[in-house]
Amino acid sequence: MIDIVKKNKNKLSRLKFAGLITALLVLITLQSCENNILPEIGSVADKTPPKAQFSASENAGDYLTFEFSNQSASAITFAWDFGDGNSSTDENPSNTYPAEGTFNVKLTASDKLGVVSIFSSDVVVVKPLVVVIPDPTLINFDFTKQAKSSGSDCACSGWINKSLGAQGESTSGNGGSDNVIKFDNDEHDAAYQEFEVTPNADYTIKIVVGFDSSAGGANPSVLETRILAGAGYKSGYTPTYYTMGADFPQDGFGYESISSIEDTTNTLMLKILNHPNNKDYKEYTYSFNAGNNTSVALLMRGIGGDGTPSDDKGFLYNNGDEEIQVDSVVITAN
Amino acid sequence: MKQIKIVTLVALVMFVSSCEKTFLSPELTSGINSESFYKTEAEIEAAVVNMYDGIQGVNALKNTSSTLNHGVQVEFYLTEMRSDNTRTKSSEGEAAQFESYTIESTNGIVADYYRSYYNVIYRANTVLENLDAASATAGVRFEAEAKFVRAYSYFNLVRLFGEIPFVDKVISPLDTETAYTRVSTTKVYELIISDLQFAVASLDDSGKDRASKAAAEGILAKVFLTLGRYGEAQSLCESIMSPSRGFTLQTDFKDIFYNEGNTEVIYSVGYLAGVNDDSQNFSAEWLNSVGRGSGVNYVTSDARTSIDALGGNRKLLSYREDASQPGQYQVVKYLPNGDANLGIPVTSSDPTSAGNDWIVLRYSDVLLMHVESILAGGASTTSSNALASFQLVRDRAGLTTSVTSISKEDLLNERRVELAFENHRFFDLIRFGEAQNVLGAFSTANGLGFSATDLLLPIPQVEIGLSNGKLGQNPGY
Repeated sequence: MIDIVKKNKNKLSRLKFAGLITALLVLITLQSCENNILPEIGSVADKTPPKAQFSASENAGDYLTFEFSNQSASAITFAWDFGDGNSSTDENPSNTYPAEGTFNVKLTASDKLGVVSIFSSDVVVVKPLVVVIPDPTLINFDFTKQAKSSGSDCACSGWINKSLGAQGESTSGNGGSDNVIKFDNDEHDAAYQEFEVTPNADYTIKIVVGFDSSAGGANPSVLETRILAGAGYKSGYTPTYYTMGADFPQDGFGYESISSIEDTTNTLMLKILNHPNNKDYKEYTYSFNAGNNTSVALLMRGIGGDGTPSDDKGFLYNNGDEEIQVDSVVITAN
Repeated sequence: MKQIKIVTLVALVMFVSSCEKTFLSPELTSGINSESFYKTEAEIEAAVVNMYDGIQGVNALKNTSSTLNHGVQVEFYLTEMRSDNTRTKSSEGEAAQFESYTIESTNGIVADYYRSYYNVIYRANTVLENLDAASATAGVRFEAEAKFVRAYSYFNLVRLFGEIPFVDKVISPLDTETAYTRVSTTKVYELIISDLQFAVASLDDSGKDRASKAAAEGILAKVFLTLGRYGEAQSLCESIMSPSRGFTLQTDFKDIFYNEGNTEVIYSVGYLAGVNDDSQNFSAEWLNSVGRGSGVNYVTSDARTSIDALGGNRKLLSYREDASQPGQYQVVKYLPNGDANLGIPVTSSDPTSAGNDWIVLRYSDVLLMHVESILAGGASTTSSNALASFQLVRDRAGLTTSVTSISKEDLLNERRVELAFENHRFFDLIRFGEAQNVLGAFSTANGLGFSATDLLLPIPQVEIGLSNGKLGQNPGY
């Protein structure tokens, strides 16, 4: 092996030389090829290439028109494709869309070196909802005698909260039969129901009420009506909106104590109806605002008594000397 | 070989002994340092007061070094002068960059504010890391105050600069990763909310120059409004509005500003007239050539038109014609040297060391935030709940006609005239989603250079330089 190498040494060096020339030639060729790509002497790489970015906001007066806010960096020229066939080269354009829909908006931002950055984002065009506040739903709003979850049929079905008072029983009045709920004289009867509301909406409440005989004794009856904030429900409580009087439990609701219903911070509305000194059924109209609540409770009870109820069940209030009858409660959104 | 072993052993022994802390950094006995301080409750309270001192900033006319932090005293440049409310009197200097929307990243006032509020955050973090020596009760209060101050600072910074470095502990100068990494605004808002919720739960309403429950609730309500969390904002406003809390509107609009500590003020930055280290110079800067320049925070004609039309009796107490330069108009809130025509008393014999407190949050702001939370991003509301709060503010201004419906524009305008020159306008425009429309039109009408990227300030160039380019710039700068 060594001999062969020695023999060919000269030949090899000649070959080497030829190879070197070839290599040089190749090198020169390569260099001349790359001339266009290599940076000039002293040039600096583009450290601030364009970066396209924008945000879009709906025009205050027209839901179809969007204002585009250009937040691109290091860019001079802009090309917008609004996704509906329209385009613009303004820096901060606006575009009016033909109709509702989702449009992909593409912003191409470029600098003077021709470096391009593209950002795209969807714009959702939706007609603003016309807010219609629904009327609340009260179950057994006209106090029809019907089945309740336990015990005999009653006008109070759906309206019992045993933590706040005794149930108001059924009676006949205002031209009907077994069609009104009554708060007995000298007793602590109450009616309570929770219902769903729209926060901060205003509501009108109409109550048809009659009182028995005329006031004149030491303790004339008074009907108290309260709207209680859902914010004051006991901790962790979520109201259930039943659809039938018979579905309602009779206890365990959001309000469970007299002190909590009498707390002014929980009271959205407090109306005191004094005995009108006649037996006529009349409609009384009140209003309330739901405040920052999605649920509220209506509470009606007879007060005006001497504080010593005849059917003492431990509540420190009682109705006055005359029975109070409520024929209906209707609540509507203003 | 044996000798080498011995030498090694000796060297090791020497090395071990030199490792001991007391050898290289002995306990300092003759002076105070951060290692030895914060060992008593009084010393921690000094750190608490130090946070408020940072917000208060330095009176630039009495302590003239430009490297000092001026805190809330330079805030009006970044907010009011960048809105359609005010401008410089003579378009001079870097102060004029704000009104023309030509702010440079080298603007010294922007850097001052950024530096000031990160310094306040540092002071708050210092309190939070040195609570051990405080009693349980005082410790909770100090922690709540520090968290309030930190959240208030971050809330301003995140609205002005967008994504910003997130520093929730005391960091060393070498921790450049924390100091120069910008995080998402979502992460900043998470800290702001948890800090303020802690403050709400832990503070009471004593004091107006320091954090209180109502101050934390009010700032948090504004945070929630900014984030579109309207129900939570409403609850907080209603908590402050509960009569038992004792906040009311002043009958006379003037008393808000010239009867300090009144029941309308919820949180203010306190100043003392004539005390170099506790007075302020912004009141002087707003006058004609009393401060460092010929006058800044002068009222634009756009703001005057708005106040004339909607201000009611607030008009006279909002701006006045510059007596020495007719045709130019000055802010009347926070006058140091009074105004006999308006019945405003002289509160500082030397207007360059003014004592007028800077009001950060007051009750009418809360009432209008209450309306905003009920409007809940909608176009208008007729809710009696909103109308009642709105009417209270209007009634005080002598505009007693019953309002039956409030549009978004009505509310934005009412906030503009009620809270004019109190550094709310710019943030209001952004929160209402109207900044681009309103400032764009204002800029076009006045030949200014507004574009969408002007809604965020530049990250100060000095910070980017210190970060070796790690800290990125906002678009448009």
